[in-house]
Order: sequence, then structure tokens, then C-alpha cells
Amino acid sequence: MSEKPAYTKPLPDLRPEDAPFWEAMKEHRFILPCDDTGKPFWYPRKYAPGTLSATSWTDAKGTGTVYTYSTHFIGPSKAYKGDPPHIVALVDLDEGPRMMTILVKDEDGYPSLDPEDVAIGMKVQIVFDDVTDEITLPKFTPAA
Amino acid sequence: MKTSVEDTGMAEGTPDIKEARRMLGKGICIAGVGETEQGIISDRGSFELLTEVTRTTLDDAGLQLSDVDGIVTAFSFVESTLMHSTTLADYMGMKPGYFASVAVGGATAPLMAVQAAMAIDAGLAEVVLCVRGDNTRSGISSSGMIAMAREMSHGAYEAPFGLTTIGGYGLLAQRYMYEHDIPQEALAAVVATQSEHAALKWNAMLRDAVTVEDVMADRWIATPFHAMDCSLVSDGAAAFIVTTEARAKNMKKKPVYITGIGEGFSHQYISEAESVASVRDGLGRAGRRAMEVAGITPQDLDVAEIYDSFSFTPLIALEGFGICGPGEAGDWVMEGNAKLGGKLPMNTHGGLIRQAHLGAMHHIVEAVLQLRGEADDSDKTEFNGGNHQVPGAKLAITNGSGGILAATSALVLSSEPPSAA
Repeated sequence: MSEKPAYTKPLPDLRPEDAPFWEAMKEHRFILPCDDTGKPFWYPRKYAPGTLSATSWTDAKGTGTVYTYSTHFIGPSKAYKGDPPHIVALVDLDEGPRMMTILVKDEDGYPSLDPEDVAIGMKVQIVFDDVTDEITLPKFTPAA
Repeated sequence: MKTSVEDTGMAEGTPDIKEARRMLGKGICIAGVGETEQGIISDRGSFELLTEVTRTTLDDAGLQLSDVDGIVTAFSFVESTLMHSTTLADYMGMKPGYFASVAVGGATAPLMAVQAAMAIDAGLAEVVLCVRGDNTRSGISSSGMIAMAREMSHGAYEAPFGLTTIGGYGLLAQRYMYEHDIPQEALAAVVATQSEHAALKWNAMLRDAVTVEDVMADRWIATPFHAMDCSLVSDGAAAFIVTTEARAKNMKKKPVYITGIGEGFSHQYISEAESVASVRDGLGRAGRRAMEVAGITPQDLDVAEIYDSFSFTPLIALEGFGICGPGEAGDWVMEGNAKLGGKLPMNTHGGLIRQAHLGAMHHIVEAVLQLRGEADDSDKTEFNGGNHQVPGAKLAITNGSGGILAATSALVLSSEPPSAA
């Protein structure tokens, strides 16, 4: 296998409170933050939004439904130049929270899903894309 | 139609309408406005543009710089300073008694007016210059542009998926269109309507009137937006002077009164937006409250200068403000109600998608010109201006939204002083 080309697309800002999430992603485990009543929320924060309660992490299934999407013909930086359109989506996870992701084919390199294959309300499941040695991004693909 | 804040069921408590009326009852008014040319102005820097428009605006009000005792500015994408208002004050040689820089994205301009009104009410200043401008188009670096794009995304949980600001609005717009069965033509009708208005406005960047078909045939940027559905990136500046009726008496122009103010917030990141309804309610609160403070209903309005970062943006605002019912704004625009000569002419200057993008500054300036009866640019023959005046306009609503419809501020402006003074 040849070396992967350097990844030049945006990488997540890393804050101390996010470390458990990215550690889990690296191990291909999907976890969600919960408040002190066990209710999961998104996006992760050290203290729960609204109540500022202590938080913990819980395993999540990585399945959900497309709430909405936008097919991007232009990306946010030069790294997207020449790419086919990419589909940014908001997915309602089965556990409740809504998260942003990108819709891909479950194939080598996770290429973008074709725009005509996307619809609001479609069922999707997580795939783990190891974009660098340190960062694995939660992408979603049509549910099997 | 919901018009009272209490109806919204939002958790932030009941704002004191009476207290807002008391403040505005002092006859808080806009006594001067100004705007520079807009577009690609590569021969002038950010502070130069701000100063140029300050000169025009002082002249409009019949004031000297020494008459101004307060300054409210915004921010710059080009000039890096954490003290924007005082940096500009120093550049212009002012020693203001009141200074503030407001930075809430597209909501900034109406918030600047509110900030000025509160400063006047608190006795901190009497004549407040509110000025915003930048050479965003010519002066920004490509890394600055990327930073600006990332600014509206969550840095950890949105930006890595390649979200753009356009696509962030696109996410909400596609859901809105799905829920209410809104055709693509409704978005295009907003662009076509405003293009007819921009054709008359002397400093609009895009002066050609386009049709719904033109917009539909344009290249895609991020669904559901074609290039023409998106706002412009421009250089330029605009300003207005806030003072009291008593002070404005000795000035050159007829004052335009701020009779209603309101704000609303629903989410910061688009992932956090609960629903189309919650976004509509959150931003709508700003306009509904402004009208409640002013003691008016949507039917009383003569002109609407509604923030239009994208063609979709005014649709959801029209609904949130109660001007149209939920899901009805698209038909309302397609029926021609937003055109000059229609039921409620909207963005009579062309807006962010046809005139220029300076947040909501130009929306305020245009509303003031409309209420002074000065929105006829026919005499500006060198700019091929035309008449975009709404005959006899007395009441206007205007707003701005920051982020992806995250934070909204709205004003009701009136040619008459507030009745509940």
C-alpha cells in the first residue's frame, strides 16, 4: 500500500473536553455525552447545556434519519477544488440528538454519496473514516 | 397571527414593553444617513471608507464632527483591532464621551441603533454616530476568507464536514421547502423582485433586472441556492446618526423615529436549530416585539427592508414577523406583493443579494430614505438612478440576522414620533 496523501481538508478544533470523543472515534466507537439524568445531547460540552449538570459518556448505535441536507458544489477551502459535490447533512440520531455529518458511500475512501441518492427521511448509519492518524470522522452512509 | 411576545412560549421571560416605550418616547430618532458607492473599491482602505461616509452623513444632518459625542461601530474583516470604535474615533480625531463596538454578525446594524438609543437614554451621549463599512471584497486575504467561512461553523463538529455558510443556510432552507412544499421558484422570485428594485438604486452593484427563469438556470453553489440566490461580497460603508427629537429640531433633515425595537435568538450553530418552526419563532420574536413596542400590526407597515443574506432568508422572516403565515411567504412574493407597487414593497434598494452586503446597514439607510420621501434616485443621472420611493411611506420594519438565522434584531421606524410618549 502506498502512503495516503496528506489530508488538507478542515480538521476539528481540539479542546480538552472533547478528548474522550475523539479517543473513542479513533477506536471506531461512537459515544454521546449525557446530562446527569442520562439524557444524551449534542454537541459535546463538559457541562450539560441548559442545566450545567455534570456529564458522562454513553455508547450510541450510530444509526439515524436524515433531517435535512445541502449538496455543496463549492467547499469551504481550496482543498475541495476538483472534488465532486459533497453532501452535508443533519442526522437525527436514534438516541435523540441531531448532529452534522457528511453522506458517503460505504466504499474504500468513503466517496461522496451521489446527490440523486439522498432524501430527507432516509435511514443512515455511521462509518468511521480515519482521515489522519489522530482523527477519525463520523460519516454516515445509507442504512443496510 | 401571533404578534405578542407572550404568545411565543419562549423561556427568556417577558420583556418590559413599557420600558422600551418610555425610552423611545424621548423621541429617539435617526437624523442623518449616508452611504458610499458599493462594489469593488480597491483604491480606499477600511478607515478611509468609514470616514468618507461619516462626512456624507454629517452633511446630510447638517452637523460638524464636533457635534458628535458618541460613536458606535461594528468590526472589520480587514483591519485587525479589538477596539474598533475608539480606533476609528482616533483616526477621525474625535474624543467621544460614549463608544462601543457591536459584533453580532448580520444583526449588528439594528443593534448599533439600539446601543445608541440606550446610550442616549442613559445620558452618556446626545448625538451618536453609528457607522459601519469595510473593504471586505478587496482587502480580505484568502486565509481571512476561510476563517470567515469557518466562523459560522462549530470548529469541532461542523467545520470538518466541509460546511460552508451558504450550505448552512441551505440545510435550513431545504428543510423549510420540504415541510411547506415550497418550489424553487419562490426563492427565485425573491431575487427577481429585488433585482427590479436594485435597477433603480444608484449604488447597487447589480443593476440588471433578472427573471425567475434566469435565477433557476444559474449555477448551483449549495442546494437549494444558485449563485444569484446568494448575497454579494462588497466594499463600501454606510452610517446613520441617532439623536433625540429635541436635538434633531436644529438639524437639516426631518427626523425618522425609532418607535420599536426587538431581539430574538434561537441557536448559534445550525446543528442546534431545533426545527424550522423554532427558528422562525426565534427570529420572528425580534420583529413581533418591535411591532408590539411600536403599537402597530403588520397591516400598518408601508415598507419592509428585510435582511436577505440568501433568497430564502426574507421568506422565513416575513413569516416570523407575522406578515405572512407559516409557509405562505413564497406564494406571497410570487404573487408580487413584495414589489414596488405591491402590498408591502420589500428591499426597495435591492438588498444584500443585489445592492451590496454591509450587514443590515443599507436596510436601515433605505428605510430612512423611504420615510423621508427621498428614495427617488432619478436625479442621480450619472448613476442611471430611478424612482424606488414607496409613495407616502410612513412606517417601516427593518431587521438583521447574525449567523445562520441565529440572532436577529429588528427596528420599527416611523415618520411620526411615538404616540405613547
